[in-house]
Amino acid sequence: MAWFTDRHCFLLAVTFYGLSTIYSVFLWRKGFRRDDWVNYILLATGVALHTLAMTKRGLSLHSCPVNNLYEATTFLLWALGLASLAYALLPRFKFICAFAAPLLFTVGIFALMPSLDPPHGLKPEFSGGLRSLHAATILQAYGAFGLAAVAAMMFLVEQRDLKIHKLRALLSFLPSIQRLELITTRLVAVGFVLLTIGLVAGSFLPRKAGVSYFADAKVLWSALLWLAYLEALVAHKFFGRPARRFAVGIVVAFVFLLLTFGLTNKFSTLHQDNTPPATNNVVAMLVTRHPSLVTQQ
Amino acid sequence: MSVVVIGLSHRSAPVELRERFAFADETIPVALQALRDSGIASEAAILSTCNRVEIYTDTALAPEAAFAGLKKFLVDHHAFDGSLDEEVYTLAEPHSLHHLFKVAAGLDSMVIGETEIFGQLKDAYELAFAHKHTGARLNKAFQRAFNVAKHIRTATNIQRGSVSVMSAAVELAEKIFTALSEHEVLIIGAGETSEKTARALQSRGVKKITVTNRSPERAAALAAELGGRAVPFDQWPAEFERIDIAISSTAAPHHILDRATLEPLMRRRRNRPLLLIDIAVPRDIDPAVNELENVYLYNVDDLQSIAAEYLKLRQEEAARCEKIIAEKVAALLQANKFSTTDGHR
Repeated sequence: MAWFTDRHCFLLAVTFYGLSTIYSVFLWRKGFRRDDWVNYILLATGVALHTLAMTKRGLSLHSCPVNNLYEATTFLLWALGLASLAYALLPRFKFICAFAAPLLFTVGIFALMPSLDPPHGLKPEFSGGLRSLHAATILQAYGAFGLAAVAAMMFLVEQRDLKIHKLRALLSFLPSIQRLELITTRLVAVGFVLLTIGLVAGSFLPRKAGVSYFADAKVLWSALLWLAYLEALVAHKFFGRPARRFAVGIVVAFVFLLLTFGLTNKFSTLHQDNTPPATNNVVAMLVTRHPSLVTQQ
Repeated sequence: MSVVVIGLSHRSAPVELRERFAFADETIPVALQALRDSGIASEAAILSTCNRVEIYTDTALAPEAAFAGLKKFLVDHHAFDGSLDEEVYTLAEPHSLHHLFKVAAGLDSMVIGETEIFGQLKDAYELAFAHKHTGARLNKAFQRAFNVAKHIRTATNIQRGSVSVMSAAVELAEKIFTALSEHEVLIIGAGETSEKTARALQSRGVKKITVTNRSPERAAALAAELGGRAVPFDQWPAEFERIDIAISSTAAPHHILDRATLEPLMRRRRNRPLLLIDIAVPRDIDPAVNELENVYLYNVDDLQSIAAEYLKLRQEEAARCEKIIAEKVAALLQANKFSTTDGHR
């Protein structure tokens, strides 16, 4: 089974996310009237395979697998998928899977692009406890923001149906809009706390002489996100920003996060991948992805 | 031996006739004993509700003879001196079993899919069973009917949705608010529908109700009935800071709440969601308020169309239920025990 790499495993996971997306289309068309477990099982299978893929990668690296854009994206999706499964166990929240599946599928396809997964050195550049904490908490924060965007989407669909007196609002098995608003707010708050921890942890990481943490493009981008989510939370909680505008803001913020997440790495001095010389790349890739080859030698 | 049914229901007879043939609970055991003593039935149960009077029997007689005997029993028992023709229906197997299953599932009810009949049928059966007027065949038929009704309830959407204006309003409130017990209701205009809607909301957990009316006495009386408080009619806008659901049904010839009035109130409410139910004709609330953020306005037409849509859905679902019932009746009749059982109890 040495040929079955973590990427194959992730590909299978994305396939299940795709199946879940197709099933979700039918659930949407039926107005979320039938409260069944099919979609949950499809998504759970995807997340299980996803977990296996990340475990395989993590074991091969002997560290948390968050060392390049592929790994970071898969980690983010994993956090989102897992949280969706947990939330789906709440009463009337099963349909969160129908909203999360398209996101997991499309971003999963994006993550599978080979250019996002360049081979690592024999020892990853981003190893170490503090770096893992920095990367993992920030990616979990993005996962929480993603799930908040999913809950916000559910809110917007339900709220619109109620506003225009569409019968689907009553027929669907979706939770009340007040509950969706509460869940969105809580997820944003959790994401915000995790992002804060991740950014603070990052500020303690060793860096090259002359490179300023707060002048880095990715740090500035993260700070911008931090401010955007802080503003959304404060305006909604303390200044009575209407729930619909809050939800739209959360969806827009996450779409912005997804679209610019990969791009900011290119302009970041601190997050440049210190890839080993070209000749070592092949060996490193083989060692990382096919450890059995080393033992065979 | 076969199960036969004779009865009158809202489909076949007017209320004046149904009430003439109704059985009081305390008279049913005696009636059942008389029926069995007459030799028409070996087992019997009587279902008597406001919408139907039905006698279910297991008889050794041929269906036509049994129907004639049962009809005579009904007429004699109630000392009825008129004539009974199309008002009474008679059903022999398998239609009698099919009918029993339909009644248990609420498919023969006035409001299709309602559940009250299930309890009434169960009570009727338990009364007959307790007085030893049922035997193996009726026991099996009734128990199977209850199982089929439960199955239909879980496997189909026959009971989903609100088929009245009041329950539609409650369902809307539950789609907006998480726990109704935490929200206060304002009733503007102490009309009958407002009162019923408020009671329906109370049954789902609403604890605080405020009533306002042009006649303060009427407001106070309704508030006392609902366990709420009354406020003077000119002071109700001030209540909007606290309440989350308002039901309006005044006789005012113009809008009593418009966008210009509500907009500043919504700011004071810090944009908490507000459900407005306008059941007045002419309408009390300007439709433009629905354009405001976090305001959900439904008038009587909206609620009636929700109820009508639900009823349509239930009728569509009834076809599925009929199919299930047909299968279950066929299965019951094919079961050896049912077709060969002749003994009592």
